[in-house]
Amino acid sequence: MAAARCWRLVLRGPGLSLHTAAGAAVTAPEVTGPDVAAAPVARYPPLVASLTADSKAARQRRVERWQATVHAAKSVDEKLRILTKMQFMKYVVYPQTFALNADRWYQSFTKTVFLSGLPPPPPPAKPDTEPAPALDVAALRAAACDCLLQEHFFLRRKKRVPLYLEREAIASPFLDQLVASLTGLLSARNPALAAAALDCKRPVHFYWLRGEEIIPRGHRKGRVDALRYQINDKPHNQIRISKQLPEFVPLDYSVPVEVPVMNCKPDKLPLFKRQYENTIFIGTKTADPHCYGHTQFHLLPDKLKRERLLKQNCANQIEVVFRANAIASLFAWTGAQAMYQGFWSEADVTRPFVSQGVITDGKYFSFFCYQLNTLALTAQADQNNPRKNICWGTQTTIYAMKWMEKRSNKNPRCLMLNIVM
Amino acid sequence: MALASGSARLALARPGRLGLGSCGAPRRGAYEWGVRSTRKPEPPPPDRVYEIPGLEPITYAGKMHFMPGLARPVFPPWDPGWTPPKFRRLPPLHEHPLYKDQACYVFHQRCRLLEGVKQALWLTKTKLIEGLPEKVLSLADDPRNHIENQDECVLNVIFHARLWHSTEDIPKRETYCPVIVDSLIQLCKSRSQASFSGQTDLCPNNTLSTTWNRGSTLIQVHGSSGAQLNAKDPLPPIASREEVEATKNHVLETFYPISPTVGLQECNVYDVNDDTGFREGYPYPYPHTLYLLESANLRPHRFQPDQLRAKMILFAFGNALAQARLLYGNDTKVLEQPVVVQSVGTDGRVFQFLVLQLNTTDLASDEGVKNLVWLDSDQLLYAHFWCLPVVRRKAVVEPVGPTGFQPETFRKFLALYLHGAV
Repeated sequence: MAAARCWRLVLRGPGLSLHTAAGAAVTAPEVTGPDVAAAPVARYPPLVASLTADSKAARQRRVERWQATVHAAKSVDEKLRILTKMQFMKYVVYPQTFALNADRWYQSFTKTVFLSGLPPPPPPAKPDTEPAPALDVAALRAAACDCLLQEHFFLRRKKRVPLYLEREAIASPFLDQLVASLTGLLSARNPALAAAALDCKRPVHFYWLRGEEIIPRGHRKGRVDALRYQINDKPHNQIRISKQLPEFVPLDYSVPVEVPVMNCKPDKLPLFKRQYENTIFIGTKTADPHCYGHTQFHLLPDKLKRERLLKQNCANQIEVVFRANAIASLFAWTGAQAMYQGFWSEADVTRPFVSQGVITDGKYFSFFCYQLNTLALTAQADQNNPRKNICWGTQTTIYAMKWMEKRSNKNPRCLMLNIVM
Repeated sequence: MALASGSARLALARPGRLGLGSCGAPRRGAYEWGVRSTRKPEPPPPDRVYEIPGLEPITYAGKMHFMPGLARPVFPPWDPGWTPPKFRRLPPLHEHPLYKDQACYVFHQRCRLLEGVKQALWLTKTKLIEGLPEKVLSLADDPRNHIENQDECVLNVIFHARLWHSTEDIPKRETYCPVIVDSLIQLCKSRSQASFSGQTDLCPNNTLSTTWNRGSTLIQVHGSSGAQLNAKDPLPPIASREEVEATKNHVLETFYPISPTVGLQECNVYDVNDDTGFREGYPYPYPHTLYLLESANLRPHRFQPDQLRAKMILFAFGNALAQARLLYGNDTKVLEQPVVVQSVGTDGRVFQFLVLQLNTTDLASDEGVKNLVWLDSDQLLYAHFWCLPVVRRKAVVEPVGPTGFQPETFRKFLALYLHGAV
């Protein structure tokens, strides 16, 4: 009898899905049958879609079952393992790329808004806390000059370094030295920096899904498939701390700028698909207490140097190269940090993850700040998601004069120092 | 392409037949070998006109194209004027500008001395003292010099280097050895209470070169030793003048019948001039500590602890000697102000600490004042590191982490770092 009543309910409402029908079936005896006692427990198991049928509802149920296993995973490692164990073809995104207008593409892949300039300064410290020691800009400048001169001038090398090896033979150790010395000098002002971990050329990986496409050919032709992306980055140096950096703007800050929408498939960038291991890695494993990021330093390769771009008539792409590198690398890093804390696309971040980046080609520096507000980039999770990730960045500024001069004094280090603190 | 085969390369390597033929093809002689069908066709014989002496043949060279009736021109062989680096031959050793008749025995970073520390002591006219000097040990034990949560930080460093820094389950020594040394130096630099600005770290591009006479043999230390810490001020001497004078009575240990130069590379092409690796005016001129890493994955490729200690002694001595010659001139004498250089050698787990004091540059004779070296060998930072937990019968017998952690080793490391600044 009750079953007949359920059937009638189902037939009456074609718009109802099977799940709500199950719910209605549970409440039906109480509503329609006054003679049946109010039984809060359903007498029959809930009517849900099949698990193995070849139907959209069944697929939805399988997806939800998989998502439930991720939610129920006890440790972060297990969660990451479930999210990354299935390998499919995915786009490999290279942060340092020669593609034209790559920064707009990367913004659309990562749902990032780019704002030029630096983020708004933090509110002034409370008056009862003791004032921080004065910033010794001269000492920092001297240390930076020392690093520069050491590599370019004082170090006597066995053979003259050829031009094509100049970057990795000179700029690379210079950046290493610079990061180490600045971190050491600034640790007096910033106790978090004193306890920070410094990584040198450690990999950073991130894997995410964004958007959907119709599969063009193959045995799954015509079906809807998510687009998968993977970044395998190797920042030259990175500083990791154990406490999270404070946010620049609130989590739900609405930026008036829109995220660029690209009307073509990512293959047009050009971006190529490959199937290999999906990894999520911030530079260290999940057990490390220094799991939050502070600053990354990147060195651009010879392929993307200014002279080469100018020779190819791509003068407007110089800034694009820096921006694309910053957006991709910092998104990957902050995203991986968020996933290390257990957030993922269905469990969006509850606090913003903030990191900074410095991109250089040995002579020109650019400074970037990135705030990750949302990890929900899949088609399902992004339907009602107003949050956007924000990236602030500066123009490239020349840092070093020619190495023939004894002391280089043009130094926008102040900019970086404000960020580093 | 015929160049791909080995015999063609041998043909190319024969001296006296350098240079490419026209349009980058192999030389005409290259096709002398091979199956008849692949042989290059013979060039046409010169015109009979050339056999008539005293006659100048009229050729079509000026017309720039073939003309029947005119003779075929014969051009002189073309000399390109330069050889590509691929085909350049080195001149024979005798013609090298730095060739000298007296052989020099060079110690470079891959030299393994047969007698180890004994041989290094003889070569550098040094007296060995086991254990670090009290001054340095007191720095290690002084609680003011300690970093807060020192043991916890060092354990984190060990975990990071041995397990966390890579996506692999068990990172290899080539990656974890430099990571652990860099992290320990970073820990010392950023967290030590003594705030001093006297030091800078150096990447391993520094090439050192020093030469000295030991008896009648010429010995040279040449090459890069790894990361080196330099300082603005020199390290103060450790042994007092009386102790230095007392070394006159010490007799260097010989190891007859083994020659003291065994294991060194004998070469006739060398440069006698000293080179500290830096130009004048460098703001950090005094060498402070050398960090030598043995980070090869395979055990046979790594140095034995004895050989590593010998290498540390020789490189520290080389740095000290170059510095002394720079400060006090090239003539051999007993130094008023001894030069002190430190060294740390490790393979990621076992550390060797060394402090060397150069008292004299008079190294030709075996008598007189000797140099002093304090050596602390085989200090374990931890006995073993389990990257995966050891599980026997479903119970975890050994958890993930280091076993046999000795905090004393890091205290000595920190003491060597702070020596001279505190």
